[in-house]
Amino acid sequence: MKKTAIACAAAILALATGQSAPYRDGVLLPRAEAAQSRLGDLTPFRNIAAEVAALVDKGDLPGAKIRIKDLETKWDEAEAGLKPRAAADWHTVDKAIDRALEAVRESNPDTANCKKALADLLSVMDSMKA
Amino acid sequence: MLGNKRIGDMLNKVPEVTVIFWIIKIMSTTVGETGADYLAVHVGLGTTLTGLLMASLLTVALVVQLSMNRYVPWIYWLTVVLVSVVGTQITDFLSDKLEVSLYISTAAFAVILAATFASWYAVERTLSIHTIVTTRRELFYWAAILFTFALGTAAGDLATEALGLGFSVGVLAFAALIAADAGASALGVDAVLTFWVAYILTRPLGASLGDLLSQSREYGGLGLGTIYTSLAFLTVIITLVAWLSFEGERASKTQAFPSN
Repeated sequence: MKKTAIACAAAILALATGQSAPYRDGVLLPRAEAAQSRLGDLTPFRNIAAEVAALVDKGDLPGAKIRIKDLETKWDEAEAGLKPRAAADWHTVDKAIDRALEAVRESNPDTANCKKALADLLSVMDSMKA
Repeated sequence: MLGNKRIGDMLNKVPEVTVIFWIIKIMSTTVGETGADYLAVHVGLGTTLTGLLMASLLTVALVVQLSMNRYVPWIYWLTVVLVSVVGTQITDFLSDKLEVSLYISTAAFAVILAATFASWYAVERTLSIHTIVTTRRELFYWAAILFTFALGTAAGDLATEALGLGFSVGVLAFAALIAADAGASALGVDAVLTFWVAYILTRPLGASLGDLLSQSREYGGLGLGTIYTSLAFLTVIITLVAWLSFEGERASKTQAFPSN
């Protein structure tokens, strides 16, 4: 058991070495600064949300429903990377995304509801800019 | 040696703790979580349906596992993967749907786990994992495992939320805690205690390790993506479990005579 745990720990340490501090443009950031910075660049997520909003504006609700899945998937995949940066901010954006998903995915989606949920989402994302 | 077994006798139903045990356990954690996530988000089943599906699969796997009269690697490890998924989902359900604070769920699962061990000891007068030879003991074992996964998930998420602990530091921090636990074991601290502490800690370690491999380089990961990371881990798990199955006949000789 102890040999096992030591072997596992050694393998994991070897793997994680050099991955332990955040980098930006090749520059090592102090951990404290990284902890204080907000969620970072949300542009890729905002772009999809804006496209979904444009589809809703055009009246293409089925198209919006398809496109918003990309936002859900991309956001979900980035959770482990983004959340530790600012957990409270992450939850705020996450809830706004959930509301937008819910509105667009209703069996009989209401255009006004969708527009409002997406406008809220975009403004929440914009408010996160550091 | 198999000829020596009397019909109806139950051999120890769970594996000895070896390097391979921990490798499979850590990787099962990652595969369990990314697998459930994949069904919920990419396949679009949603968290509720995925949760019900996984709970049903776990029930079936557990019934099969309980019906065995010795340790059979594939069904044991399939049950561990499914317990890992369901334990994680219980915590996620509390946090995301019921909005229970992670401080409360972490404390609650710690109390429930302690109560599980207390009743296990009260009934069996031992917590040894070398003598899981009755169905009642095995049920205590699986209940303890379920709550270690729930506690490990809650404690790991709490470290992320409250301390801003990302996966890179997380891997190092949880590996260091496990090393300290191994050191305690080497210094003679109770083997049962250090085993279960390691079992809890390997949950957030497995999650951080999976994130380290799968997350994009932008976030400090290696950028393999969740699908390739899960497939790679799944391949390792299947290879090791297959190897254990073929080696199993020889190992069953030693398992018939547990040391404590």
